[in-house]
Amino acid sequence: MNLNEKEDITADWQWEINATQSWFKLGLRDLYSYRGLIMRFVRRDLIASYQQTIIGPVWMFLQPLLTTIIYLIVFGSFAKLSTDGVPKILFYLSGTIIWTFFFDNISGTMYTFITNAHIFNKVYFPRLIVPISNIITQSVRLSIQLMLFVVIFLFYHIVYDQFDLSYTLLLIPFLIILTAAFALGSGLLISVFTARYRDIDTFFQYILRLGMFVTPVVFPSSLVPEKYQFLFWLNPLTPIIETFRAVFFNQGAIQYNYLLLAVASTTILLMLGLVLFKRRETEVMDII
Amino acid sequence: MSNLILKAENISKHYRLGVIGSGSFKEDLQNFWKNTFSAGGNKTTSSINTEPKANDLWALKDIDFEIMKGDVVGFVGKNGAGKSTLLKVLSRITLPTTGTIKGKGRIASLLEVGTGFHAELTGRENIFLNGQILGMQKKEIISKFDEIVAFSGIERFLDTPVKRYSSGMYVRLAFAIAAHLDPEILIVDEVLAVGDAEFQKKCLGKMKQVSAEEGKTVLFVSHNSQALKNLCTKAIYLEKGRLIDMGNTQDVITNYLKREQTLYLHRIYADPDTAPGNDSIRIKRVEMLPQYLSGSNIIDIRTPLVIDFEFWYLPKEEMDLGVSIALNTVMGECIFDVDSLARPYKKGLIKGQCTIPGDFLNNGSYSINLIFVKNTSSALFEFEDCLSFDVEDFRANTAWYGDWPGAVRPKFKVQLQQEEI
Repeated sequence: MNLNEKEDITADWQWEINATQSWFKLGLRDLYSYRGLIMRFVRRDLIASYQQTIIGPVWMFLQPLLTTIIYLIVFGSFAKLSTDGVPKILFYLSGTIIWTFFFDNISGTMYTFITNAHIFNKVYFPRLIVPISNIITQSVRLSIQLMLFVVIFLFYHIVYDQFDLSYTLLLIPFLIILTAAFALGSGLLISVFTARYRDIDTFFQYILRLGMFVTPVVFPSSLVPEKYQFLFWLNPLTPIIETFRAVFFNQGAIQYNYLLLAVASTTILLMLGLVLFKRRETEVMDII
Repeated sequence: MSNLILKAENISKHYRLGVIGSGSFKEDLQNFWKNTFSAGGNKTTSSINTEPKANDLWALKDIDFEIMKGDVVGFVGKNGAGKSTLLKVLSRITLPTTGTIKGKGRIASLLEVGTGFHAELTGRENIFLNGQILGMQKKEIISKFDEIVAFSGIERFLDTPVKRYSSGMYVRLAFAIAAHLDPEILIVDEVLAVGDAEFQKKCLGKMKQVSAEEGKTVLFVSHNSQALKNLCTKAIYLEKGRLIDMGNTQDVITNYLKREQTLYLHRIYADPDTAPGNDSIRIKRVEMLPQYLSGSNIIDIRTPLVIDFEFWYLPKEEMDLGVSIALNTVMGECIFDVDSLARPYKKGLIKGQCTIPGDFLNNGSYSINLIFVKNTSSALFEFEDCLSFDVEDFRANTAWYGDWPGAVRPKFKVQLQQEEI
């Protein structure tokens, strides 16, 4: 919908529906007027995901913890992958929390049209509401999981007197926003194409699964052979996770150049994703 | 400032069939395709030349209309006429291929009741969820909350997940929310087809109140012509995506019923060689002759219907011939099957007739099968769906507009008598 205030000779129309949607109108004001619905979706998703469970939201802690324990056993004890001297539990937990945040955001976004087709076919609201509410939901989960991380971190910090914290801690919120933006941008791009060709969805499921192994989730990037280092660091998640670890575990210097590269590529991706999504959001409904 | 609230100019919607994709929408299109182009190859109503090219389909073509503030506009037309597509375009669910729609004020669309209901959440949560999806603000819902709950009549189950609700309760809650929407323009699609009788009445009453007392504009699709006549101030008749007629509800509905009804009432074949049939039977003519009541030219439940037919009889052997007439609903349910006496006939032309009395059939769509029976045991030839027709509802002296239950609707006398005071 284009909420143009238009002056007409016969009447003062308040809105107009046209055959095409403009390329560069993101409808942010429209989106703001729907903020109530965004929060309602967040509430729905948070409540609904723990209905009929006994321990309810405790799962938010248990999920990363169980994953970490499995990584500890498989990658830590069996495969004996290095963690660059960081306590294994903290190393895996940091990797898995960020990876899961990214994964849930992108997979929530890339199925926007498919999973909400029944609603989109009956009611209008800016479609961007759905991925945005998904990101907020995942951020709530993330913050709870980060609390778990902080508790364990403080345990090591106080009991073993390890790790010093510095002003670089201020980078953490920025890293989280960058992760969300990367997931949103790529998710939006993919969503427009998966709506039309379901093959793309299968394809990206594999890419995502592979993605965990080209991201330093269960191993440090120092393990990657020298000749692949550059490619490895092109993945925006590599500088994100490495910076996160550098901040908490004082592992080497922060690679600001790669971080800046990640910011640049994520910004481009997000812009492309937003514009294409906005442009296609209604047309997609004819082919889903 | 004029009273114009919505203006549609030159709206068309084009679909290309057979493209990749699946889901409910594709089914919609397939239904559309089937209803519009394959079942009715012999339609006589052809001021329209939308001959479809292979996969092209114009679901809407060059629609123009204006709607004034406070109008209650009914959209009529057969399945696949483009009514739902038009509502979708107006609701911004799908984009028009050409054209512009301009409007004033908030639009809310009710293309379904309970859109976005989450089965795991309680009734209370779903009131907020559904209300906000439909465009209400949280404050607005809070202020109307008690009213919504009272309207739905589910107070006791407010904190139960809606997946435990009966389908009736679910619909009541959903409609209660919808009924408390407060937009300038409300778009409603077929929602009256749900819920029990009492509740339907409540909903119709509410819609009437919304338009009459609060001066809201309502756009409304229904197959219930009684409800349309009762509620709407204006009607728009669509056929194959074109706007055929627009104006006074009574006139438009009469026009619609007349046009749609006369389609399959006559089957006449001049040449016995190509007429339907086989070696023993060839159809010459099958016709439905409605005995219209004075002042009426549509078939409604009061109209007696005469079925008149002729066929060439070309027996190869001596046999007893009988004809039976079966009346089926559009869903394929047989309402009755009546037969003639079986006896020997000579080779030649045979004529038959049967009358279905008025005040016998319920409203609905029906088709007739003619079955030619040999020796009261085996079928010589079966002429399926040779006639099809709609029986419209008619009601006088009743305030009830929901579906009338029952396979038939005979007018047997029910007598009441005051025994004591």
